[in-house]
Amino acid sequence: MAELKNAQTMFEPTRQQAEERLLEQLNRVETSSHGYYSVHIHLSQLKHSNRQPHFINIAARAFDTIIDDFDATFYQLSNKDLVLICHEVPVDELDTVIDKVRGLFNEDPLTIVDSEDFEDRLATWHDLSVTEEFASFYSIIAEIAVEAERLREEAKRLQNEQAEKGEPLTPFNLAEISKKLMAVRIGDMMQEQICLLVRTGGGGEIVFREKYFSMNMLRKRIAPDTNLFSSPWLFQFLSESLDKRLLNVFCEQDLEPLVDNISLNLNIATVLSKDFQKFHRHMDGQASKMIIEMQIIDILSDLKSFGYARDLLQERGYRVLVDGLSPVTLRFLMPATLKSDFVKISWVSESEDEEENAKNLAEITETVHQTGREGVILARVDTEKAVKWGLGIGVSRFQGFFIDKLAESMSSKPRKKAAK
Amino acid sequence: MATQTESQKKLPSQENLLLDYIRRLEKHKKGRKVVHVHLSKLRPFNRRDQHIRMAAGHFEKLIKDMHGQVFVLKNADLFFIFKSQVLPQTETAVRKIQFVFSDDPLVTEDGKDGVKFATWYDAEKDFDKILKVVQGLSKSEQNRKKEVRSRMDARAVLKAKQEQGEPLTPEVLARIETALSRADLSNLVRRQFVCNVDRKMVPVQEFSELFISIKDLRETLMPGVNMLSNRWLFRHLTETLDLRMLSMLTKTDTISLSGDISFNVNVATLLSREFQNFDDNIAAGRRGSMIIELQKEDIFSDLESFLFVREFVQEKGYKVCIDGLTLESLQMIDRGRLGLDMSKLLWHPDLVDGGEPAMELVRTMVKHDGPEKIILIRCDSREAIDFGHTVGITRFQGRYVETLIAEDNRRRELLRLKRRIERN
Repeated sequence: MAELKNAQTMFEPTRQQAEERLLEQLNRVETSSHGYYSVHIHLSQLKHSNRQPHFINIAARAFDTIIDDFDATFYQLSNKDLVLICHEVPVDELDTVIDKVRGLFNEDPLTIVDSEDFEDRLATWHDLSVTEEFASFYSIIAEIAVEAERLREEAKRLQNEQAEKGEPLTPFNLAEISKKLMAVRIGDMMQEQICLLVRTGGGGEIVFREKYFSMNMLRKRIAPDTNLFSSPWLFQFLSESLDKRLLNVFCEQDLEPLVDNISLNLNIATVLSKDFQKFHRHMDGQASKMIIEMQIIDILSDLKSFGYARDLLQERGYRVLVDGLSPVTLRFLMPATLKSDFVKISWVSESEDEEENAKNLAEITETVHQTGREGVILARVDTEKAVKWGLGIGVSRFQGFFIDKLAESMSSKPRKKAAK
Repeated sequence: MATQTESQKKLPSQENLLLDYIRRLEKHKKGRKVVHVHLSKLRPFNRRDQHIRMAAGHFEKLIKDMHGQVFVLKNADLFFIFKSQVLPQTETAVRKIQFVFSDDPLVTEDGKDGVKFATWYDAEKDFDKILKVVQGLSKSEQNRKKEVRSRMDARAVLKAKQEQGEPLTPEVLARIETALSRADLSNLVRRQFVCNVDRKMVPVQEFSELFISIKDLRETLMPGVNMLSNRWLFRHLTETLDLRMLSMLTKTDTISLSGDISFNVNVATLLSREFQNFDDNIAAGRRGSMIIELQKEDIFSDLESFLFVREFVQEKGYKVCIDGLTLESLQMIDRGRLGLDMSKLLWHPDLVDGGEPAMELVRTMVKHDGPEKIILIRCDSREAIDFGHTVGITRFQGRYVETLIAEDNRRRELLRLKRRIERN
C-alpha cells in the first residue's frame, strides 16, 4: 500500500492518529475481507527499559520489507504496539520478520516462547475474514484508540518533563559548568544514605553511611537549564571535578573520630591524584573506617589503573566498593575477579517481574555466592519487596529510601555496634 | 636494563641494523656514498605506509645488482648506501621519489629555510657526520621504544600526557568539534590490515580496519593539544568522529572500501539517525563484509542498548567485535554471553610476563571461540606474533604486521622480476 504511505507524508500537518486510520481501514476491509488478516505486535508489554523510542523505531523498520514487497499496511500505535494489516501475504514471510523483532528484545520476558503455552505473548494474529475474529480484533483496537488519548496527554507531560531536564550537556556548556562547579558553595549539599545489614530475625546494623552531593541541588545551583546526565562521558568528566570538591570538604573540617563507617564515591583518577594523598594525610589513621566506591564504567575503561588504585587503597586500610552493577550486568560480568571488598547492585523494579525466569535468578544467586555474600549490597531499595528479592538471592546488606525509613524506625531502639 | 638489551638483541630494528652497517662500512668507505631521504618531514597524509614502500622500491634495481643497500626507518626516513659509480642512477631514483610527492611542501620548498628533501654524503669524507646522524636516529628509536613501554604504566601515562602538550579541556574540545564540522577528514583515514600470519611470518590479509588517525588529526587541527589527556572528553570526541566516519563510508568516492572492513563506533552512534542513513545507503550485500568494533566500557555503560543494537546490526548482516580486551578484562567479561562475532585482544608484554597462567587463559579463550574469532592487536614487535602462535592465535594487527606485508610485497615483486628475467 505504497499510496497510503505517500498520503501520510503528504497530509502530515493534519495527520490522523494511527488508531483512527487503522479503524478506518478496518471499516473498509469489513465489506470484502477475503484474504485479510492482522498481526498485532505487543511492544507495549516490553519491560520499561526496552520501551525506548529508538528501540521501537528500529523494531518498526523490520517491517519495511513486507510493506515494500506485499499488500500490507503498517501502523505504529500510541501505546508502542505495532499492527500490520495484510492482504494475501504469505504467513511465513511474517514469521521471519517477527523473529527478527523477537531477536531484538531477546533479553525481555515478553519474547520468551513457552513450548507448553499456545499463546505467543509477542505477536497475536487475527483472520479478518472470520467474523468473530474481525469483531474481536476491532474491539481491541477500539480500546487502544480510547487509551491513546490518555497516552498522548501523558506523552505531552513527559515531553515537558524532558524539557525541564534541560539542554543536553555539550563541550560548549561543559566549560562554563565545570568552572561554576569549582567555585560553588558545596558543603551544604552533602547528604547521606545508610547501608544496613538486615537480619532475618529482624533488626539491623549500620554497615556504612554513604556521603554524597545531591545532584539535584547541585544542578539547581550551577546548571538549572542543563541535563547533566545526557552524555555519560561528559558526566564522568564533571564527576572528576566533583571529587576534588568532595575531598576538600573533608580536608577543611577538623575530623572527629568516626563512629560509623563512611563511604565516598571517587573516580580512579582521583584516587591516584595528589588530592587524595592530601586527604589521606588528613584522615589520620581512620582509613579502616572508610570505603571508597568506584564506578564500573570507570573501572572498565582502565582496569590496570583500577588494580593499581585498589591495591593502593587496600594497603592503606581502606575498603573498596565496585558500584554501578545491575542484575543484568551481573549476567555478563564476574565482579569477583575485581577483588574488591564490596559489590553494589542496583535494584530495578523489573527484577521482580523475572519470576518466570528462574534461570536468571539462579545465576544471580550463584554470582552473589561467588562474590561472597558479606560483600554484596543491594542498592536503590525502595520497597519491602526489593528486600525480599535480595534476601532471596542471598544478599543481606541493603541501601535505599526504604532502608533509610527502616533505619529511622529502628533508631529509637538501642544502637548496636557497627557491623564489620 | 638487562631485559632491554636482551630484547634489542632479539629484535634488531632497522635503526640498529643501519648503525651496525655503518660501523662496518668504516673499513670499506672508499668509493661509497650515502643519501638520507627525509620522508619523515612529509605531511602526514603523504607518509602512509604504502607511499614509503613505493619510495623504497625505487632503489630495488640497484640493490638487486648489488650496488647498494636501503634501510627504511621507523620514522619513514630512507637511508641508501651505494657505490659511487651508480651515483647518476641513484640521483634519478631520488628524483623519481621527489616527483611522487611533488605537491608536498617538503618538495615545493626544497632548499628554502633549511627544508631539505635529501642529504647526500660521501662515505669517506663525511664518515663521522654519517655516524653521528645514524647514532642519533638509533637513539631516538630506542627512546620511542622505551616510551612505548613506559606508556603502559598508569602513572607514567599520566606524567607523559601532562608533558605532551596542552591538556584537552572542555573549551578545547568545543573548538575541536567546531573545526571538525568543517574539516575534510578523508585525508586522515588510515587503514591497518588484520592478517593471518603463519610461523614462516607470511601475512595473508583478512580484512582491514579503517580509522581516523588521532595523531594526524591533532597535527592538522590542534597542534599542541594532547587529545588523549582526558579519557572522558576524548570518548565524547570519538562520538563526533563516528558520525564523520559513517558519512565518509556512505560516500564511497571519498575513501576506498575494497575488501572486508572494520570500523570503531559507539553504541549510541548505532542507535542514531546517522547510522540508519548509513545503513539505508549501503548495498545489502556489503553489510556482511563490515565489522563493527565496540569498546568494552561503552558496552557496559548501557548494556541494554548494546544487547538491543547488537541483535539489530547482526540481523542486518554486520559482524560485531569487542575491542580493547586485556588480560584483566578477559577474566572478568563473559564474552560468550555478549553474542560477539570477534574479539580483539591488546598485545602487551604482560601477556608473556604473566607466565603460564596468563598463557593458559588466552589459550582457553582461543580454543573456546575458535582461532578465527580472536585477533591480537597493537603487535609492534615479533615478540607479539610469537606469543600469539604459542597460544594458538593466528590473526594479528599492528605495525609489525604492516612491516611483514611490506616485506612480503617486496619479495613477491622480486620473484615476479626474477621470473620475467628467466623467461626472457
